[in-house]
Amino acid sequence: MPKILAIEDDPTTGREIVAELEQRGFSVEWANDGRTGLDRAVSGEFDAVILDRMLPGPDGLAIVTAMRGADIDIPVLMVSALSDVDERIRGLRAGGDDYMTKPFASEEMAARLEVLLRRRGAPGRDAARDMSLTVADLELDLISRLAHRAGAEIRLMPTEFKLLEYMMRNSGQILTRTMIFEAIWGYHFDPGTNLIDVHLGRLRRKIDRPGLPPLIHTIRGSGYALHAAG
Amino acid sequence: MKARELWRTTPFRLTLMNGAVFALAVLALMGLIYQQTAGYLGRQMDGIVVSEARALALGGAERLPERVNQAVAADARHIEYYGLFSADGVWITGNVRALPPGLPIDGAPRGITAAKLQPGSRALAERLPWGEILFVGHDALVLSGLRDIVVRALAISGGLALVLGLAAAAALSLRPLRRIDQLREASRAALKGELGVRLPVSRRRDEIDMLAGVANAMMDESERLLWEVKSVGENVAHDLRTPLNRLRALLYRVHQETRLQGAERQMIDQALAETDEMLARFRALQRIGEIERRDRQAFFEPVRLQSVLEHVIELHEPVAEDLGVTLAPEIAADAPKVSADPTLLFEAVSNLVDNALKFTPRGGRVTVRLATRAEGPRIEVADNGPGVPEGEREAVLQRFYRAQRARTQPGSGLGLSIVTAIARLHHFTLSLDDAQPGLVVALDCWPRGIQA
Repeated sequence: MPKILAIEDDPTTGREIVAELEQRGFSVEWANDGRTGLDRAVSGEFDAVILDRMLPGPDGLAIVTAMRGADIDIPVLMVSALSDVDERIRGLRAGGDDYMTKPFASEEMAARLEVLLRRRGAPGRDAARDMSLTVADLELDLISRLAHRAGAEIRLMPTEFKLLEYMMRNSGQILTRTMIFEAIWGYHFDPGTNLIDVHLGRLRRKIDRPGLPPLIHTIRGSGYALHAAG
Repeated sequence: MKARELWRTTPFRLTLMNGAVFALAVLALMGLIYQQTAGYLGRQMDGIVVSEARALALGGAERLPERVNQAVAADARHIEYYGLFSADGVWITGNVRALPPGLPIDGAPRGITAAKLQPGSRALAERLPWGEILFVGHDALVLSGLRDIVVRALAISGGLALVLGLAAAAALSLRPLRRIDQLREASRAALKGELGVRLPVSRRRDEIDMLAGVANAMMDESERLLWEVKSVGENVAHDLRTPLNRLRALLYRVHQETRLQGAERQMIDQALAETDEMLARFRALQRIGEIERRDRQAFFEPVRLQSVLEHVIELHEPVAEDLGVTLAPEIAADAPKVSADPTLLFEAVSNLVDNALKFTPRGGRVTVRLATRAEGPRIEVADNGPGVPEGEREAVLQRFYRAQRARTQPGSGLGLSIVTAIARLHHFTLSLDDAQPGLVVALDCWPRGIQA
């Protein structure tokens, strides 16, 4: 059971973080000022940190900088009311692994945290060295950029390939539309309407052929997940 | 700066008026001096003729003609006139051959006019005790010399004063005129809607500075009001987002934790979707504020528009296909790079394409065009949908405005406002036009000049 440290001075946001993460089976400790937060963050007891950017005492940037300085390498998800691009850049540059703007939907926060944990959770596995990815009977060849499902070859457009690779690398995780848009296209604005749904629909038509158990699942109100049926 | 403008300036007019008053004063002074001097000289001449006559008369009758002749001979300047006449007025001697007619013979000096004499000359005729008549006259040569001097002085000083006055007036006006020009330039920029423009204030604290100061205070105030109005929407969005988000969290928790079935499940799903829609609008509002406040230069770099457009098309292509709309690129390969924020440009064009796709009927066509104009590259997104009537085009760029054609469509009505904000940040020009049929939205990717 991963242990999460939430450093957040706003009581409402803090409670929401704790409630959402506990419901998902995490054990959560909540620090509500920068001083305690920093002490706990460098203790080495946690698997990830959710860190508010603006805090009394040392602020979020100072804490993440101090953590990285002390070789604490756990994932840090920064949350902030400051939504400007340069704030995001500053947060990531200081050592944050992801950046969310307040207020946020709690499942978005949880989804992002899970992706971060998963990424760090596989030490020794060099993602860049992977030749192929496999989920159930779906295989994606990262060299030839071809997918195979139940023995049939699936040709992918460049965007579809990127999308499938991202989903397979994070298989079993809920991926929100925002996360997908940021990861595949690299932009941080609201793409609007059903843009991501349409891209997913396209990919789904290729992967989940009629008669096969579906691998791409729609999570109502949240996003998508790729995993074996069941 | 034109001559007419120079003439209209207050310093110019004041200086000229000042010069005229000064000239009048000098004229009056000179006139007074001349008049006083002429009176004095007249009295002096009277004294001269009286004492000359007395000196001649005192010598007695016997050698008078001889002495008159001596006096005539002694006058090297030829300004004295003498005449000795018998009791009945017949000339005896002297350089005056006849008594001037109308001159009373009473020994009192008077003004006399004669062809040979300067104006203002004085003379007297006196009957001597022995009956003869003596005439003594004095030509007013000194007086006329003085008059000439005064007139010449007046002419020279007048001319000089005119030239100097004009020069001084022009010189004094140039500086205020130049400052007025600066003020005009600054006000023109302010009128064009540029914020942060202030009128230059010099350190002299003169009347122009006072006015500029007042104008600047007014501009401060209107800018503050403008920001206040602008931020109202944003603040409302910000204030409502948090409770709305909590509402969404509650709905989501209900959605997650209870085992709802059928209609109830659907209602919760719908409530979640509606809340998400509201949150999206608030995010869009905040996004506009964010773009408007952004430091323009911070993320600027040379951007290859071709790749921006290609990426936008790639992003929207599946949606177009789903809608049965052809998404057609027409991209000029030679369009030059522009200095811009690439992510914002992507967002702008993406919004335009999203908009165009929404309003194009199945089987229609959306063209994404990159054209090269003399001034720079131009991005056009054209659809062959219903278009926007000319009267509405300006309005659809306004925040929240939804054209007639948009009323039935989902969306915040903020997409074009985001594009407008991005265009403004870049000083690019966004315009709507008739695509015959349909709408074409053009983004001119070169900085709009102050004249445009």
